[in-house]
Amino acid sequence: MDSTLQSGPDAAVKAKKSKATVLGSQRPSWIGKVKKDRWLYVLLLPGLIYFLVFKYLPMWGVLIAFQNFQPFVGFWNSEWVGLENFRNFFANPDFVRLLRNTFILAVYDLVFFFPAPIIVALLLNEIRVNVIKRFIQTMVYVPHFISMVIVASMTYVFLTTQGGVLNEAVFQITGRRIDFLADPDWFRPLIILQIMWKETGWGTIIFLAALASVDVEQYEAAVVDGANRFQRLWHVTLPAISSVIVILLILRLGNFLDNGFEQIFLMTNSLNRTVADVFDTYVYFVGITQGAFSYSTAIGLFKSIVGIVLIYGSNWLAKRFGQEGLY
Amino acid sequence: MGSNHDSLGEKVFDGFNYLFLSIFAVITVLPFIYIFAGSFATEAELSERSFFLIPRDFSISAYQYIFSSNTIFRSIGVSIYITVVGTITNLAFTLTMAYALSRRDLLGRNLIMNLVIFSMLFSGGMIPTYLVVKELGLLNSYGALILPGAISAFNLIIIKNFFQQLPPGLEESARIDGCTDLGVLWRIVLPLSMPVIATFGLFYAVGHWNNFFSALLYLNDHTKWPLQVMLREIVMLSQLAIGDINNMDPNYVKPPEQSVKMAVIVTGTIPILLVYPLLQRHFAKGVLLGSIKG
Amino acid sequence: MNVKVLGVKRKIALLCAVVMMLSVLAACSGGNGGSNDPAPQEPANTGGQSAGEGNANAAQAEPLELTIMVPAFSTELPDGSSPVLQELEKYTNTDITMQFVPNSSYGDKMNITLASGQLPHLMVVDRNSASYINAARTGAFWEIGPYLQDYPNLSQANPIILNNSSVDGKTYGIYRGRTLGRMGVSINKDWMEKVGLSEPKTIDEFYNLLKAFKEQDPDGNGKDDTYGTVITKYAGPWDIMQVWFGAPNKWGEGADGKLVPTHMTPEYKEALKFFKKLYDEGLVNSDFAVMDPAVWLDPIVNGQAGVMVDVADAARRIDGRMQEKAEREEPYIDVFQAPVGPKGHRDMPTSGYANVIAISKSAVKTEEELKRVLEFLDKLGDVEMQMLLGYGIEGRHYEMVDGYIKPLTTPEDVALVKELEGMNQMLTFIGPVTPQLEMTVINEKVMQVQTANEEIVVSNPAEPLVSEVYAQKGQQLDNIIADARIKYIVGQIDDNGLDQAIALWRSSGGDDYIAEINKLYEEAK
Repeated sequence: MDSTLQSGPDAAVKAKKSKATVLGSQRPSWIGKVKKDRWLYVLLLPGLIYFLVFKYLPMWGVLIAFQNFQPFVGFWNSEWVGLENFRNFFANPDFVRLLRNTFILAVYDLVFFFPAPIIVALLLNEIRVNVIKRFIQTMVYVPHFISMVIVASMTYVFLTTQGGVLNEAVFQITGRRIDFLADPDWFRPLIILQIMWKETGWGTIIFLAALASVDVEQYEAAVVDGANRFQRLWHVTLPAISSVIVILLILRLGNFLDNGFEQIFLMTNSLNRTVADVFDTYVYFVGITQGAFSYSTAIGLFKSIVGIVLIYGSNWLAKRFGQEGLY
Repeated sequence: MGSNHDSLGEKVFDGFNYLFLSIFAVITVLPFIYIFAGSFATEAELSERSFFLIPRDFSISAYQYIFSSNTIFRSIGVSIYITVVGTITNLAFTLTMAYALSRRDLLGRNLIMNLVIFSMLFSGGMIPTYLVVKELGLLNSYGALILPGAISAFNLIIIKNFFQQLPPGLEESARIDGCTDLGVLWRIVLPLSMPVIATFGLFYAVGHWNNFFSALLYLNDHTKWPLQVMLREIVMLSQLAIGDINNMDPNYVKPPEQSVKMAVIVTGTIPILLVYPLLQRHFAKGVLLGSIKG
Repeated sequence: MNVKVLGVKRKIALLCAVVMMLSVLAACSGGNGGSNDPAPQEPANTGGQSAGEGNANAAQAEPLELTIMVPAFSTELPDGSSPVLQELEKYTNTDITMQFVPNSSYGDKMNITLASGQLPHLMVVDRNSASYINAARTGAFWEIGPYLQDYPNLSQANPIILNNSSVDGKTYGIYRGRTLGRMGVSINKDWMEKVGLSEPKTIDEFYNLLKAFKEQDPDGNGKDDTYGTVITKYAGPWDIMQVWFGAPNKWGEGADGKLVPTHMTPEYKEALKFFKKLYDEGLVNSDFAVMDPAVWLDPIVNGQAGVMVDVADAARRIDGRMQEKAEREEPYIDVFQAPVGPKGHRDMPTSGYANVIAISKSAVKTEEELKRVLEFLDKLGDVEMQMLLGYGIEGRHYEMVDGYIKPLTTPEDVALVKELEGMNQMLTFIGPVTPQLEMTVINEKVMQVQTANEEIVVSNPAEPLVSEVYAQKGQQLDNIIADARIKYIVGQIDDNGLDQAIALWRSSGGDDYIAEINKLYEEAK
């Protein structure tokens, strides 16, 4: 390194520069970074391999959407049909109705169901007797384990006009029975109420974990500052879990057009089908029951593209508003 | 958080809060109590009374029936094995990857994050995944129920986010003390993340416990079936309309009794329900550690 | 701190994973085992192989290896130690691996199995499923039609059912026979006596009976709390009753010899008017459109309703449930044939079979092997095998009393029932008639009704035809008609609305469907 032999401020600057360029040309900066983080890459590797093997190796399945795939014939020998499946889907006279039903239900879900676990978690957090808090927590998460088939059966038992327990109560009060199960106007509220009943308690767990990570000192400081409980909730608790809320919201948007097939399938009948038909049930009818793999894959692909637009769009928005976002 | 200087408003709020949560808890738990009560009731009572919390005629015949063969014990054993081994695998894969991705300056991080997000939305589907599992030689083994779901992208992203929120100063000081990244993860990050680990351990465990579909796809040998396959099948069979049972030999047209269905649900649910109260301790512990770290 | 050790382990794990991945990549680039994959990895070729080499005697001594995939309707299933399975292997000189698949997931499992290219030797498949039809057309299964005549039992297969279960006129699977005239009307016997009515011989009498069950207080409790018949979300009873009125069974031949779908016949509308009357007068449960089929029997068992239109053997089940409540000598339920309608005595049949058993070409490679497998299937028709797989081992699972079978198993003895459970799924019931279960009064009645039904069932002329239009749009088309029928019954639409629904059906692909079916029908003639 001859530069060290030279003297004077000019030379020093020059030397620094040349040293940097020499280093840069021989060993690019990223190698140094990788070397420094080598253990992180080791940690990353099993997960990365998992994604490549189990998620990306089977990814050719997406291409089925452009084929007329037959399971026995296999991927390589099935006929390629270009965009025909998509054309059939969009040209389907039911497309607009399916999109509308799916969209409305998804919005209902987002507006009514998504906030429910957050609210319940915050309310639980305000309970100071630990035994009661744990007891309630354990009770509200029980319905998560009851399968949809059973939930649908019990809904029938409670709501039927032919002696359903709840409908009899309605009859005692109002003097008439409400056809909850057949009336199309009741379909969406019913779906949302079922899902709220079944999953709210389960959904609280993740927020409770976030709340458990909130620094106790912050609360103490707020108390010293004279904040009452509502102020503490607003200024300490909510900000602490806001990033989890935002992430869950973004991830939910990625599955925006998924309505939960089994539930809707079970609650659909001849009298409410006009509002109950959604993409997921449609895919079942044309795909699973009739073996139209390619067609149902095409519909899935359409849903995924909508999902990816929403996920990246909302992630971008979240970042603009100063949130962490997905990454 | 002393309770002695609560304002009137706060007391009213407390009252409503208790009331609301109690009602909510009762509504959520009542149907399960009905199922529990129903599992001890007779068939006649179940068809007559649409809802009850205490059976009129107490009977344990449903439990005698399901526990009379060794099938249920074997399948409970299988379920526990899959759940325990599966959850440990899940946590090992997810926590390591999440920690690496939580480091903002990691080169290639964005690329991998996009890879993860993309895989959440686009999937090859059932048949291609099955073929990969088959080529790996995992068919008919419990590995097929564990490895294809080793990481949930959803959980990974949230755990990564939790890790990002840990105070960076701690890691810095640990590194100055000579810890490698592995040391930091093991000694600092994981102990501080117990609530998160408990939560996602629970999510994974419940996922394994409730999963019947992979078992159906990948296990050809019925003696390897976990409990949920049995549970699912009994529930689905009791749901069949009579005219749909063309497949059954006419001499054996008898779906499972309602009480048996309920007893199977109870047997399949109680063990996993017990996991949560056990884990709740760790939530509290997380807070404690959080205050120490200061 | 053993970071170093951990690191080495990780490196090894990494190496393994990379190797693993490469092997997968390599395996995938060769295709995913299509129809022309010559080498499935399962060792499938044992007995048959040596038979092909000429040493016939040795081959006979060597048991034939068979994997059989069947649907399961129970979770207590026989394993390798089951004496029934061992007995079967001994009788047929085979080494059998049973692959049970829960019924509710059978379709998925079948698709996966087809896609994997590793088919079991024998599998039960739904003849109407698109995957099966396509697999059969592309050579997944042996066409066995020409071979059947060589086997004593299989040669007795019913040609009509063989035709119904064929694909493009070719037999790719042996049907599993079922009672053709299975339907019947189950009625509460006590109630009939109470209101002083006997078997409803005509539709008018059937209506009067329902009316009496509603209005004449058949349970004698002084309250207006009974009705006629129970129907659930499962619309089978409507389908059955419209055939009584003279509507065809799905498709019927019009005056010009062309096939017409049932909902475009005048008889269909007559039937719907009758259904609407039943609903308006409260003779059927008001929540039929949403009722959970799981609780179908409950109103009859609990004495709220008195009639069920479904399979005749439902009578046995309802009676069984009522006997559990209060046991008595005489049955509670009686069962009858369909009432006579304006177009004569007609009833809906089943298709006469429930799925077919197909032989895969990838596991059974040579004709010699095929013949051994067919021999196995043929032997399943022998009296010994029908008895073994249906009822178990004499002295262990059943005993013979006066020429009748008397089961020794009770539902509570799971360990014993388990040895036998699900084995009857491989039976085709093609072969000699076997001894019967001991006849109870109600069983006898069910048998009578089902035997008499064979004279009056109306077959569906389009049954063997495979329609492309239906494969694509069938479910949507069916929904249009099914929904319109229910809406008409509950009064949400009138005749005009019904016509509109049919017009919608036609414009949504129904016309193409009619044209295609008629074309196929002509070709098949």
